[in-house]
Amino acid sequence: MNLTIAGLTARALFGRRRLLLLLPMPLLLIGLTVLAAGTSADPAQWGPIVLGDLGLGVILPLTALIIGSSVLGLEIEDGTITHVLSKPVPRSEIVVTKLAVAWGATAAVTAVPLAIAGAIAGSPRLAVGLGLGTAVGALVYTALFLALSLLSRRPVAVGLVYIMLWENLLTRFVGGARVLSVQEYSTTLAGGLAQTELLTGRLLPITAALLAIVLTALGAAVATARLRSFTLAGETG
Amino acid sequence: MSAPGDAGVIHDIGYQHYEGPRLGRRYAALAIYVHSVRAAFGIGRSAKAKLLPLGLLGIACITSLILVVVSTQLGVTVLSYVGVASTFSYAITAFVGIVAPELVSRDLRNTLLPLYFSRPPQRSDYALAKLGALITAAFVMYAGPMLLMFVGLALSTDEGITGVFTEAGNLALGLLAAAIHATVIGAVALPLASLTGRRVFATGMIIGVFLLTAPVSGTLRALGDGATGQLAGLLNPVDLLSGVDNWLFGEEFVQVGSYGPIYGLTAVVLTAAGTALLLRRYKKVKS
Repeated sequence: MNLTIAGLTARALFGRRRLLLLLPMPLLLIGLTVLAAGTSADPAQWGPIVLGDLGLGVILPLTALIIGSSVLGLEIEDGTITHVLSKPVPRSEIVVTKLAVAWGATAAVTAVPLAIAGAIAGSPRLAVGLGLGTAVGALVYTALFLALSLLSRRPVAVGLVYIMLWENLLTRFVGGARVLSVQEYSTTLAGGLAQTELLTGRLLPITAALLAIVLTALGAAVATARLRSFTLAGETG
Repeated sequence: MSAPGDAGVIHDIGYQHYEGPRLGRRYAALAIYVHSVRAAFGIGRSAKAKLLPLGLLGIACITSLILVVVSTQLGVTVLSYVGVASTFSYAITAFVGIVAPELVSRDLRNTLLPLYFSRPPQRSDYALAKLGALITAAFVMYAGPMLLMFVGLALSTDEGITGVFTEAGNLALGLLAAAIHATVIGAVALPLASLTGRRVFATGMIIGVFLLTAPVSGTLRALGDGATGQLAGLLNPVDLLSGVDNWLFGEEFVQVGSYGPIYGLTAVVLTAAGTALLLRRYKKVKS
């Protein structure tokens, strides 16, 4: 961890109005939960849609995608990354710092609202499970999207295709795709911790936990390796 | 230092003068349109730029081939052409979320608009050409797989030429649905993309609108019975379009009950509002 880089990254991330763009998502989640909990309907009917499909399936990956690919991606786009790279700081330290800030920011704007929604929808136990599951998911997603922002010139486009087509479409039809779906990890872990039928993971919790660790490490390692041999280039022509 | 009163002279340094016809505003607008459609699919650009759009088109075509094989093997229609429009819309929002910023955000980011607006095309020409290009690109994403499906089904029909004509009639309906879907999705996405020069945030906003409203509509449909459930589809563009399909073609993905015309009207209003906002945006934008 390098506090100077962390401070600069956090300022770049929170210092502008654009972070307000992320605000509607938690508000929508909590609002919808309150609305649904107010009706007489059984939580089993709307819980999977609001907490699973909306919370873990859309809000978490979308937030992680925007934050994870911006922490390094925007610096690369602006060319200011050279200022960081020209200092005697190990590349791994840069990556770990950026990842930590991205994880913290993503977890703050997703895990907290999801925990609140869980508390409204069910029990404190559900809140804890959802909060922790989301936090783990946020770490894996940000590590992957951070690495992606160094591998591709268009990380958001690639990440989006992964989220929409792989996680939300392919996993429904092809069981094997679930093993490489971060959404499954967070759902499995959240459901396992909360012991609820509202979130039914389709993986073993131990598998999900191991894969989450492996993918996070992989993301950080790939990002570090890419940053070692980094060359500045213009946009893809 | 020149002497006072000495008038400046523009020297003729021998550049060739252009004396051919000036092709004017319409030609320029058409050129923007054609260039944008090509840019949407990365045609005329590097292989990297082609990868995503053409990859998505390829996936859509493979899906339709699978549909053909399954339908002919089982002897039942898995999905009609209109059904293809309804089911593909979700994936096509991803395509539009990637392509729309490509069409307008780059020009904003690189401050290219002054170059456009100092030439014959007007601001509205630019905006409409870009919108037309986005709609065309989205339409191709629907129509390509449908044509493939038509070829497959027409070749495997066992009712001879009548079977081919039935398929062609169904295809025409499917293409009509595809045109409606492409227009509404394009008119929702492009005004959002034109707000920012950062493609990251443009994509985020577009996908946010499409993905975040879907569970809202889904929850209300799961909770509400009768009118609430039947009107909930209005909240999400993709569900709205499925509702329009239900009203016009009887495709049963989203139940609209007797509110079909409201779905149709909402689709028209949404398109008109999106186009108006886009024109307004380009009237105001700094150049």
